[in-house]
Amino acid sequence: MAALTEISSRPRDRHARARALHWALAGVLALCCAVSLQIGAAEVTLTALLGKWLAGEPLTMMERVVLFDIRLPRLAMGVMVGGALAVSGAAMQGLFRNPLADPGIVGVGAGAGLGAILAIVLGTLLPVWVTDIAGNHLVPLAAFFGGWGSTLLLYRVSTRGGRTSVATMLLAGIALGALAGALSGILVYMADDQQLRDLTFWGLGSLAGASWAKVLAAAPLVVLSVGAALVLGRGLNGLALGEATAAHIGIDVQRTKLVAILAVAGATGAAVAVSGGIGFIGIVVPHLLRLASGPDHRMLLPNAALLGASLLILADVIARVIIAPAELPIGIVTAVLGAPVFLWILLRRRGLVDL
Amino acid sequence: MRLETEDIGVRYGRHEALGGVNLRARAGEVTAIVGPNGSGKSTLLGAITGTLPHAGRVILNGRDVAGQKPWELAAQRAVLPQATRLAFPFEVLEVVRLGQQAGTAGGRANVPMQALARVGMAHYAERIFQDLSGGEAQRVMLARVLAQVWSPVEAGVPRWLLLDEPVASLDIAHQLQVMEIARDFARAGGGVVTVMHDLNLTALFADRVLVLSGGRPLAFGTPQEVLTDDTLSRAYGCTLKVSRPPERADMPYVLPHHGQLTGA
Ligand SMILES: Nc1ncnc2c1ncn2[C@@H]1O[C@H](COP(=O)(O)OP(=O)(O)O)[C@@H](O)[C@H]1O
Ligand SMILES: [Mg+2]
Repeated sequence: MAALTEISSRPRDRHARARALHWALAGVLALCCAVSLQIGAAEVTLTALLGKWLAGEPLTMMERVVLFDIRLPRLAMGVMVGGALAVSGAAMQGLFRNPLADPGIVGVGAGAGLGAILAIVLGTLLPVWVTDIAGNHLVPLAAFFGGWGSTLLLYRVSTRGGRTSVATMLLAGIALGALAGALSGILVYMADDQQLRDLTFWGLGSLAGASWAKVLAAAPLVVLSVGAALVLGRGLNGLALGEATAAHIGIDVQRTKLVAILAVAGATGAAVAVSGGIGFIGIVVPHLLRLASGPDHRMLLPNAALLGASLLILADVIARVIIAPAELPIGIVTAVLGAPVFLWILLRRRGLVDL
Repeated sequence: MRLETEDIGVRYGRHEALGGVNLRARAGEVTAIVGPNGSGKSTLLGAITGTLPHAGRVILNGRDVAGQKPWELAAQRAVLPQATRLAFPFEVLEVVRLGQQAGTAGGRANVPMQALARVGMAHYAERIFQDLSGGEAQRVMLARVLAQVWSPVEAGVPRWLLLDEPVASLDIAHQLQVMEIARDFARAGGGVVTVMHDLNLTALFADRVLVLSGGRPLAFGTPQEVLTDDTLSRAYGCTLKVSRPPERADMPYVLPHHGQLTGA
């Protein structure tokens, strides 16, 4: 009894812990960035380059190319894609009130992929002025619309009167993913040789094609949707109580849902458009963070961005060095690391699905 | 100041669950809504809180609630639903803080802890909400609601507690505790509208009672006026006998009379 009184007189505040974690994760991300710039196929290391720079020596052409045209854009893309995947996972889980709702698992990623493939294969049929205006943004935008359509559809099917049925959500997600996959398959048959090369490259789930052009193509969508997700914290916390109660505590439920769906679609679309299917970041990262510092979305969303970016960069480093000089598609690395964690989550909390 | 409804009606598809309800609840009073299962009590509360689409108008403190923003309403009234399911493992104190978000944040950091203490749950502040028993969870949700409208009168305007069966899963001691919280809120100038199942608790704590039956208002008045053999037997469709203890003639209590016992 005395112990109980003592505990409650100085409540251990998970919010404070989440804040501390935020700064720690920022440090971790900086470290991961340094590691990513340090390591690679070429005999160029960040430390050596920094040494040269401090000594006032000029960099060789090769060193410049490796640093500025290969490693930096790849790093930028890794940060964007990892942050976007983790944030879209956390936002979608908040929207569906379930920790298993991940764009990759419930078919939203496949929907975004269908959008991207549509743009690659049928983009040539568009009027020239459209492709001129859209430019490099065409594929990310198409992926965004694909992700948006599938999120809306999934929400309609699996949610009644403010309650989400987990079983319906997962099953509808399987159907949605299968349908998007089948339609994508049809499009692949229609593709010509050049488009096929684009598709194969894209579908590997890899950061290998990173370039500043791709980074710039995806950046606006990533910044907008991650930014939108970061202001959703209060609304998603309210939604955890159900739609009716969220409204009663002053949340604009319709607006919260609209922004959440757009943010999920945007972040998933951008990530899928530039890197194909990279799985498990969106489900593992928010889950680990909830274990560490609780489910409060006001800290969960920004922390997910930081941890997602860090993990994806690390996975990319592993993908680059493990069979060097060749490299693995990063999607394989995240699957090998993420799938067991996902199974472990299910084992620990079977109740998640038996709702 | 009042909470008033004008000709409230609710349909679920073709089924008219509620019609012609004119409720007049006054700040400073506890207004109870009673009636048999399925008589439309929760439906009426759902219409008042704006959760359910409905015909008619709801006037809160002199203003039509239609067209007011969620956060404007949240600053004036808090709602305790019959059951709440919470997604994600929030701690008890975090749950109570969710209630406090509505416009009452600044400088009131200790309100959630006080609200928890008020319902006797302060020791559970760091427990995971999903691990609580049904009655404990219900009291935490009440604390959340209290934290939202902590001061019964804000800038001269009363605030409202709208409760759906707040004592449903509680033991007798906590039933009394919760009803006392509601009555204290009203005595301090706030308004309370609560759906009740227990007619004796209603007689003890309510200032006004609305009896619903089949989605229609059957009677509205003080417990003295409304809790009568005739009205209750008609509402619930069974023989009920209201007694008044000699020492407390103002306090009716209700006894069910089984057909065989009364010879009816
Ligand atoms: N979502 C719904 N769809 C259809 N009918 C409903 C719904 N909710 C309640 N009802 C019906 O409306 C009537 C009133 O329900 P309710 O207000 O919940 O009763 P109670 O007085 O027990 O709270 C009941 O007949 C119930 O079956
Ligand atoms: Mg009810």
